[in-house]
Amino acid sequence: MLEFQFESLMAFLAMAPHGAYVWPVYVLGLLILGGLTWMNLRQHRQAIRLVKRQLEREETHES
Amino acid sequence: MSWRWFHQWGSPRWFYERAGRWQLVCGWLALILLVVGSLWGLGFAPVDYQQGNSYRIIYLHVPVAFLAQAMYAAMAVCAVVLFVWKMKLADVAMQAIAVTGLAFTVLSLVSGAVWGKPTWGTYWVWDARLTSMLILSFLYLGLIGLRAAIQDPDQAGKACGILVLVGVVNLPIIKYSVEWWNTLHQPASLKLTEKPTMPASMWVPLLVNILGYYIAAAYLVLGSMRAIVIGRERRASWVKELVGRA
Amino acid sequence: MSIEKRMLARELKLAAARPGDIFKPMWFLMLVISMVPLALSPDSALLADIGSAMIWVATLLALLLNTEHLFQSDFSDGVLEQWLFLDRPLAWLVGLKLIVHWLFHVVPLICITPIAGLMLSVPTDVLIALLMTLVVATPALTCFSGLGAALTLGSSRSGILGVLVMMPLFVPVVILAAGVLIRATDGSEILPLIALLGAFSLVAATLVPIAVSAAIRLNIGGSN
Repeated sequence: MLEFQFESLMAFLAMAPHGAYVWPVYVLGLLILGGLTWMNLRQHRQAIRLVKRQLEREETHES
Repeated sequence: MSWRWFHQWGSPRWFYERAGRWQLVCGWLALILLVVGSLWGLGFAPVDYQQGNSYRIIYLHVPVAFLAQAMYAAMAVCAVVLFVWKMKLADVAMQAIAVTGLAFTVLSLVSGAVWGKPTWGTYWVWDARLTSMLILSFLYLGLIGLRAAIQDPDQAGKACGILVLVGVVNLPIIKYSVEWWNTLHQPASLKLTEKPTMPASMWVPLLVNILGYYIAAAYLVLGSMRAIVIGRERRASWVKELVGRA
Repeated sequence: MSIEKRMLARELKLAAARPGDIFKPMWFLMLVISMVPLALSPDSALLADIGSAMIWVATLLALLLNTEHLFQSDFSDGVLEQWLFLDRPLAWLVGLKLIVHWLFHVVPLICITPIAGLMLSVPTDVLIALLMTLVVATPALTCFSGLGAALTLGSSRSGILGVLVMMPLFVPVVILAAGVLIRATDGSEILPLIALLGAFSLVAATLVPIAVSAAIRLNIGGSN
């Protein structure tokens, strides 16, 4: 059942005759999933940085 | 005491700490499943005798389209939880799902359009499923826009909750009416006749990918929720403690 | 005088004081309709084909134009806040307001569509069907756009957001109306579909005011 359907790696990458349709879709999928992950990480970092700055401000205020 | 499992969701701190662990598990699991499922679908599943290799797009398109719809339903569940139990985390989840859901909807639209080019000969066909997916993307956009327009997060959350509930009641009506509209205007010639049986060698990788995308969506939503929780709770002492310790 | 009667009298006075609010959407409708032959072609056969659909879309846009700020003035001068203290359910008052709005601002719009139909040489039987769809479908559209207006009440920079948010929900209504128009062109039975549209409007008119009142409460009460 598990048999590589293409003769060579080049044939796999060409995926004749529809390589031009299949590969960009998967690349876009990767970009969107990766982009969302990156966005979440950035938002998280920004939120933490905001809290940090606030903490520093409180400390200088106290001293 | 038996309701503890439910009430602890009311604590953002409890959620933030647990979600970090869940996120890690989900992330790796999704990565493994998606790599296996996609490579299997792209390289090892047999070629479709009608569509050729272009059918391999469905290993991305079908799971993503499922998720785009499931996530709207998930938002409706969150809206009910928000209104019935006033649980703020439900609103955080709604905000996180809206953005992720829009991304999935757009991905499913684009992948559907690209699949349509070799199959139907054109990128866009006013097919029932594509059309209702387009409407769904407008609904997601509306939610994001509404939240962005209202300053107070609590107020924005409730407004979005109302909109989600109204939308989820309408969504089946929209879906059926679009299907009916399609039969009204077009003879069935353009419809892609789905083959009654897909061999196991084709649907097993699809199943792997469906599972993989579901877990990936959970990973993304959890990540987004954690960031939102920190942002909203930035004045809470546990957040200051957490940041101070790091 | 009962609260309902007083409300009606007030709306009547307001409408009389600002006839422009009634007139402008009609003006808009006629302008859009005159753009169609200019953009497409003056060929009457072509216009007759798409005329009824164009009138439908133009009426929809005109309706959105005048419902966008449905609650704005009542919100800013505090009338909505007073509604909360009346011994009537808020949803009932909202429903009343929506009905009055439909009578004063949407019905005039429907009344001039026959003229637009003549300009686009829509056949008479299709024109009658068009009028029937507009009469039974616009209550649902008014309710939904009222909800959009209520949801965006609190935000100062919402712009046309209420319209954008609500428009996807119009899809079933537009599709059913299009079905009626297609059948009317074929000469087949249209009454079942008209009844279905009417049912949709009735359901919307009973349920949407509840959502609208929740949205209004939200904007007045703030976060509680």
